Amino acid sequence: MPFLEGFLAIAFLLSNPVQTFASEPSAPSDIPAPQVPVKGTVVDINGEPLIGVGVLVKGTNTGAVTGLDGSFTVNASPDDILVFSSVGFVELELPASADLSRVVLEEDSELLDEVIVIGYGTTTRKSATGSVEAVRTELLENRPVANVTQALQGAAANVVIQRKSFNPNGESTNFNIRGISTTTDNTPLFVIDGLIADQSAFNNLNPNDIENLSVLKDAGTAAIYGSRSANGVILVTTKKGHKGDRSKVRFNALAGYNVPQFLFHATHGYENAVLTNLALTNSGNAPKFSQDQIRDLAANIDKENWLYYQLYEPALQQDYSASITGGSEKTSYMLSLGYHDQDSNYKSNPKFGAQRYNMRANITTEIGRLTITGIMAYTRNNQTQTTGSSIEINASRTPNYYYYKFKSDDGRYLVNDVVNDFSSLGQLESGSFNKYANNFLTASVNAEFKIIDGLKLRGLVGTDIIGNTRFTRNMPQVYWSSEEATVPRTVDDADYRTGNWNEDILRSNLQLLLDYNKTFGRHTVTGLVGATNESYTRTANEITKNYVDHELGIGTSKTTEANNTTGSTSMDTMSKTSITSILGRLGYNFDDRYYGEFSFRYDGSSKFAPKKRWGFFPSFAAGWRISQENFMENYRVNVGDLKLRGSWGILGNQSVGNYDRFTTYSVSGTSYGFDNTAVTTAGFKYGNEELTWEKTSTANVGIDAGFFKNSLKVTFDYFYKYTWDILMQPKTPGVLGTSMPRSNYGAMENRGWEITLNYNFKAGSTNHLINFNLADSKNRLVKFPGKEEILHGEELWVIRKEGLQWNAFYGYKYDGLFQSYEEIENSALPTGLTVHPGDVKRKDMNNDGVIDEQDRTVLGHAFPRFTFGLNYSFMWKGFDLSVFFQGVGKREQMIRGELVEPFHENYSYVIYKHQLNYWSPVNTGAYYPRLAAQGSDSDVNNWSKDWGTDLFIFDMKYIRLKNLAVGYTLPQKATRKIGMEKCRIYVNGQDLFTLCPTSFVDPETTEMGHNMNNNSGNSARNYPNIRYFGLGLDIEF
Amino acid sequence: MKTKRYITLIATASILMLAGCNSLEQPPVNQFTDANYWTAERAQYMINTAYSQMYSASRMWEDESMSDNVINQRSTNNGGRLLQTGQANSDTDLFNNEWDSMYAGIKSCHTFLDNVQNIQMDANLLKRNIAEVQFIRCYLYFRLATLYGDVPYYEQDITSSVALETGKTPKNEIISAIRAKLEEIIPDLPSRDQLPKAENGRITKGAAVMLLARTYLYENDWTNVEKYTRMLIDEQSTYGTYSLFNSYRGLFEEANEYNQEVILDRSYIPNLNTWDQIQDMIPLSRNGRVSDRVPVQALVDSYLTLNGRAIDEAGSGYRADDPYKDRDPRLTATIIYDGYDWDANVNNWFEGKGKIQINPATSTTEDKYTGPNANTSATGYYIRKWYSPQDKGSASSGLNIIMMRYADVLLMYAEALNEQNKFDASAWDKTIKAIRQRAGFTNSYALDFPSGKSQAELREIIRNERRVELAIEGLRFFDIKRWDIGAKVFSGEVKGAWFTDKIGIVLKHVPERNYQWAIPQSEIDLNPNLKPQNPGY
Repeated sequence: MPFLEGFLAIAFLLSNPVQTFASEPSAPSDIPAPQVPVKGTVVDINGEPLIGVGVLVKGTNTGAVTGLDGSFTVNASPDDILVFSSVGFVELELPASADLSRVVLEEDSELLDEVIVIGYGTTTRKSATGSVEAVRTELLENRPVANVTQALQGAAANVVIQRKSFNPNGESTNFNIRGISTTTDNTPLFVIDGLIADQSAFNNLNPNDIENLSVLKDAGTAAIYGSRSANGVILVTTKKGHKGDRSKVRFNALAGYNVPQFLFHATHGYENAVLTNLALTNSGNAPKFSQDQIRDLAANIDKENWLYYQLYEPALQQDYSASITGGSEKTSYMLSLGYHDQDSNYKSNPKFGAQRYNMRANITTEIGRLTITGIMAYTRNNQTQTTGSSIEINASRTPNYYYYKFKSDDGRYLVNDVVNDFSSLGQLESGSFNKYANNFLTASVNAEFKIIDGLKLRGLVGTDIIGNTRFTRNMPQVYWSSEEATVPRTVDDADYRTGNWNEDILRSNLQLLLDYNKTFGRHTVTGLVGATNESYTRTANEITKNYVDHELGIGTSKTTEANNTTGSTSMDTMSKTSITSILGRLGYNFDDRYYGEFSFRYDGSSKFAPKKRWGFFPSFAAGWRISQENFMENYRVNVGDLKLRGSWGILGNQSVGNYDRFTTYSVSGTSYGFDNTAVTTAGFKYGNEELTWEKTSTANVGIDAGFFKNSLKVTFDYFYKYTWDILMQPKTPGVLGTSMPRSNYGAMENRGWEITLNYNFKAGSTNHLINFNLADSKNRLVKFPGKEEILHGEELWVIRKEGLQWNAFYGYKYDGLFQSYEEIENSALPTGLTVHPGDVKRKDMNNDGVIDEQDRTVLGHAFPRFTFGLNYSFMWKGFDLSVFFQGVGKREQMIRGELVEPFHENYSYVIYKHQLNYWSPVNTGAYYPRLAAQGSDSDVNNWSKDWGTDLFIFDMKYIRLKNLAVGYTLPQKATRKIGMEKCRIYVNGQDLFTLCPTSFVDPETTEMGHNMNNNSGNSARNYPNIRYFGLGLDIEF
Repeated sequence: MKTKRYITLIATASILMLAGCNSLEQPPVNQFTDANYWTAERAQYMINTAYSQMYSASRMWEDESMSDNVINQRSTNNGGRLLQTGQANSDTDLFNNEWDSMYAGIKSCHTFLDNVQNIQMDANLLKRNIAEVQFIRCYLYFRLATLYGDVPYYEQDITSSVALETGKTPKNEIISAIRAKLEEIIPDLPSRDQLPKAENGRITKGAAVMLLARTYLYENDWTNVEKYTRMLIDEQSTYGTYSLFNSYRGLFEEANEYNQEVILDRSYIPNLNTWDQIQDMIPLSRNGRVSDRVPVQALVDSYLTLNGRAIDEAGSGYRADDPYKDRDPRLTATIIYDGYDWDANVNNWFEGKGKIQINPATSTTEDKYTGPNANTSATGYYIRKWYSPQDKGSASSGLNIIMMRYADVLLMYAEALNEQNKFDASAWDKTIKAIRQRAGFTNSYALDFPSGKSQAELREIIRNERRVELAIEGLRFFDIKRWDIGAKVFSGEVKGAWFTDKIGIVLKHVPERNYQWAIPQSEIDLNPNLKPQNPGY
């Protein structure tokens, strides 16, 4: 990476010790006191010098900043008071006449004055009235994660992130704040440096660039984002330089291996054959394998090499970032570069994987009363991935027979009688690929003009420019049915297809805000009023060429023949939306004791018809810092801070299609034809002029309390959300011939709580930090068209019913296995099925002697509850240790398919090791039913989708050691000698170990999307889990 | 003054900002809305949509799955298989899906008919367009009434509140209304001979007459079947010139689409608008994926030997050890069996791969029979008809699906005459003989009128001829129903070729259920006026 070297060279130059904060020109001559230079040194509790500590003569503009050795010189008279301040340390005041040779600043553990970023402004921890959680950026930095979303897992209470795939090219996460409050869209709003963004923009961030990450959870904090805030807001600000800071250069490097973990295993070939025979003969069918064949499989057991294991290899992951921050008197800056590279674990040609390049420049300058901040960040994502499909499943459903091979000895790809039309490895190694590139540029200019003291006018112009492209190249895959075959069995992708897809997105954002903040004695008033407009334009185009030149991939004469070149233009895909808003906030605080706040947003969206266009979203919040009361003085001093707070407001959600209010006619050119020539067809979709916002009324009460003199801080919040006017599609009979558009119909409530603990203590020379969060949420459907709906979702159903949780799993209750014919005779049975001992028994819920659909019942819920995160950090001398656990206390998940049912539907031919606890006359205590031939009555009874039981439901609570890091920071005395302020090396591991009652799939596996809608698919067919081991380096100059 | 300058600057910027605010009125630009859709040209698009919703390859294959010709060995939830085995219930997906998709087609028809009145266009074209759309509407209602019996019936577009309330219209009223409408539109439709080539595939007078004949056929109304089939046979100057195509196999090849035998087909376009079901019915060695819908032994047995005799008839020459030799050539054009000579019977695709080897005792290929629960066929047979050599059995076939053809007209005519006891040698020559000759029979026992046979014996001959001529075309189920032979053909275990094991699928005839579908339970749940449910469900 030559550019990095260049960057470092510049960084070195900039970081040469130069004076960075000149003392202000001496005061006018009418100040009488004689001044003398006062010298001293500032250190931390360990005696290490502190650099960049501001030393101000109280009541004047005179001051200095400590240098590299912690020393300072300031002109002051002996009567003056010196104020020592530095971010993260307790401010200290000392008389200039005191002994200043070793001024010790203590780290600020109270964090009461911690600045918290809120919508269109900031507040402090002590005066926050709403539920806002600031995520510790230590949890985001230096983690071997592909993006910030992954790092955020477990980091904040009730921020529920489910990582559904470990494939670097198939990242898929559910992101919810405070659970499920609506049926339509539960994605939070993402705001980055004041610009409304989205999750992909969030994931484009270099985690090391993040200065603040706030989670706005309640109406008190989120209502200022109005119509899009109902699911909470993730607010990010990126690092800036500080005025007068010396230049700091940081370099972080992280490299390690992702090692695939296989959670399930096939039985040996001969076992698989014996059990195949058992299943068949149990149902009266002929066995498939002869004794000779079984003996042959057993004799070749040492040649077995299961196809599934052969697809993966350990893969390298690397992360590098470098930044430089600093500032002069008027200007401060932050420049950074980042590089993330995660190889895929697939054995493939070309090598698959994902890379991200980040570059950021944040610059602030002051021109008189005007402060201008310019932010420009560029992200480039590259991904190369397979064009194949069903890679995992097609390898894993092939039994472990030694004669099944991916390749012949001469390198030809073989198919077999299980997967006979293509091979997983053949697809991966064919030379076919999809290459994605994503260019993401965000740029904004923020101007702040100080009109009078406390009153500022702010204007912001910002834009996100997003270009996504995909290039596809298909190379033929030749498959042979045996090593001896002389003619290929089949050739896939023989049409040498190439294709390009391009997407262009422009998000623009204009804001004009008037901001007021003034303290009069014990009264502090804050006010904000503003107007904003955001618009979003998207176009995309695509071209596909068939029969291109085999080598170059460029068009040939055949490419120009009919239908061999197809595509779409920007016009086919254009969409545009716009939203204009007026917003405001009024806050008042008396003596840092009583707080009151009102905020609102008035939004108008192009998604709604004029008469339904505008929505008003207010909120009220109040706080009482009891510990500031006079009668609490003892408590305040001996125990700590105590604050009660509450908020209420109405938030919105506009998750509706861009054009849902119109009845639309869409035309297509490929749906019909005459005389083999296509004609245009038209489809139509009813619109609804009456569509409007979903509204969520949110109430929140919370307590912030400090204990042990604020070294232990506890925050507890309880919330209740009620969402109405939820967009739901009325159920219409098929007779109508089409569906009706969604309308504002449903209602849902959601309640929950969260608790966070931060405990910081020192024992001797050790420093300990414990962060813990635990949270829960639970929803209930209040109003639903037709009261209830039962949907078949693969092997089970989901029920949507007023009074129940949204999309609860629904089906028959497993009641053990039949042990005798006598028991069968005396039990309720599904109609038409003949069962035998060892088959599944169902609970007759209504005791009517027959098992029918009336006997189905709620079997569980897929949304995680009691989610928690626990981080423990320990520091001693230069050593540090950080352990991060994360998990879920309660969750049920349906898993279906071959990982549950042996020999699934004549599709999988495998029985896995975790399926061996099946019933047999010698294992009557088994959990799983006896083996039976596919399609037999027993099989239908035990596993069919029409009779699904909670055998398909698995307990997915878990605790996972998400991250473990052990580091050592070289003594500063040593590093200084080579010009380094800090040098830390560490080893870390990620996803190191997991405890979960269900062993064969990852506990985050889910078929449910972030709205708890069944996304179908089969989540058990996942890329394997990966475990990361690596080394890291942090250097600061 | 500096401050003033800044204020001016900011004020200017704010004005620019607000002026630059994007409009909140953003109608779609890549879709039409009610405000701009309905013009004469775009009204045609809606007709084309209706055409695409009239019939489809998947509908043909699903219909075939209900018959005794094939079984779905793999998809145990296939609607046809559930019907064959007596396991269908009111929640069976097939009933729901077909219901929805037919009413969706009717919706397109009504949307066109309601809106086209307000459009300025050529009067003759308008009449023809309306006739085409009415035909599609009649076709869909006929299918609905045939499958479900009494169903909700509308003459124009409806709102959702109407849809939620309307009860069923008796089947006979629907059929009468369809017939009246079809009679009404015949004059407005062109005959086949009047169609320019570019309009191949459009609805003609002949199609309307054929549909009328079919409505009577399904009621065994022989006078009217005779009347309407005669119009197509004897009045070709009015209703279009039709005759048998010279090659039975060639009928189902892309090169011969829109030939003189085809009365109406569901159009597909190579590479552009295609269907893919065939990949799960053909041998693995010829691009088959997995075997699902496969022919059963009973269908194979219904093909005569080359000398015109049934295999169990004395003198047939049938040899159990060489069962596919000297059989009706349509067997080879319809079904793939052990030892099938691919190179000779399919146009040179996979040349050199040799014969299809299924018998496990001799096969060394991937087509080797490996038991009923495998990727290979459970019966030892595969489907040949509709395999398009151009498309190589891939997931995208552009072959049209024939909905109506002249051989069917001849068979209907023959049946109508015999049922009225009017079938004679001249009628035989016009129908059965012509069809058998085209199929490739030359033996006089096969071609000559079997004099001396009773009406009942002739009935069996005609019915068997109908089964083999129209096998795998989605029509057999409706014949089983009108002949009421369900108890005979849906019984016992499904059998495959002589070398196969027990398949484990048992056919079962439940009279009410086999012949008529259930009204989808979800529809009744929404609209209680659809009660009562059809008998048996």
